[in-house]
Amino acid sequence: MAQASKKMITDVFVEGARKGWNIGAMSTIPNVMMAFIIIKALNITGALGALGALFEPLMILVGLPGEGAAVIMGAIMSMGGAVGIVMGLFSEGILTGEHIAILAPAIYLCGSTIQYAGRILGVIGTRGSLYPIMFAICIANSFMAMFVMNLFFV
Amino acid sequence: MSATDDQKVTLGNYIALAFAVAFFSGLLQSNEWYGVFDFTTLNGTFGSIAGSGMFRGAGGDGARDGFLFALTLVPTCMFALGMINVLEHYGALKAARKLLSPLLRPLMGLPGSAGLAMIGSLQNTDTGAGLTKNLIEDGELNQEEAEIFTAFQFSAGATIVNFFSSGAVLFTLTNADGSMAVPTSIGLTVGIMFIFKIIGANVLRLILKAQGKKVNAQAKVA
Repeated sequence: MAQASKKMITDVFVEGARKGWNIGAMSTIPNVMMAFIIIKALNITGALGALGALFEPLMILVGLPGEGAAVIMGAIMSMGGAVGIVMGLFSEGILTGEHIAILAPAIYLCGSTIQYAGRILGVIGTRGSLYPIMFAICIANSFMAMFVMNLFFV
Repeated sequence: MSATDDQKVTLGNYIALAFAVAFFSGLLQSNEWYGVFDFTTLNGTFGSIAGSGMFRGAGGDGARDGFLFALTLVPTCMFALGMINVLEHYGALKAARKLLSPLLRPLMGLPGSAGLAMIGSLQNTDTGAGLTKNLIEDGELNQEEAEIFTAFQFSAGATIVNFFSSGAVLFTLTNADGSMAVPTSIGLTVGIMFIFKIIGANVLRLILKAQGKKVNAQAKVA
């Protein structure tokens, strides 16, 4: 720690910005690009519209169009990918800024849980019977957060 | 790194924490002089090309549009992580740990010694999980506490780094007329995530309690 405090503040910033660059190049760009390709594929096959219609009754409870379900499904796989899906749907005019405000905390609350099952539950050694409960809690957290955001903040 | 080390927290650390909270809260967002203390203001905007639209253009889709859009996220991510590194350097997270550790018992039924692992888990899932494993092995957390703590970490894992490296950019979106699209702030979003992480941990706490009662009842019948 004594050594660390001798560093110039500019060096500390640059070191952090470099971490940001690595995350951007190694994780954000590939994940977001994948999300855009998936949206394009869902769009031209008509699956996005079908997904929207299917989930509309559920998503309407939290003030979102049915397509919002695609964001939550994407989030379970990858947080960065879900942000990409949000951006794609925003450019298409399907999601508005208000919808994004509702979705923002929810994306992270259930985000990347498929990866984190190994990296958190696996490493800590959580018993197998709790895995479904852990996933259910994350998804419930997301829905509660969307409900609260829709009700009080948008 | 020990799972429960205890370093001295100075006034400077608290100032760094207060600065961090103000900087990312969005409260000081403005083009007045005090905008210099606001993340979104300093993050700025991309210039427009040929009078309208930015370099991403309009109407694109697929992999190419995804790539260009992803490029627009990179500066926000670099700026946010650079600032977090500086604030961490000045002890903001150490101060947060000092303030949060005594709250762990009332909020989630966890011992204060889990403070370091909790702050670690907000930055990096692997740090959080590794430190939690150490706490279990050192006997600082029993099985039930470890499971409650795991639920806290599993929902919105590595909240700070993940959110600032991708989600923060959502708050820079603009409508066609140039106004800010998202009507809430970065600070509110982080606050909501943190509250629901704690609620989720408590849901598991109740489930474990209910399961424990059932097991006890069965044991009595047997």
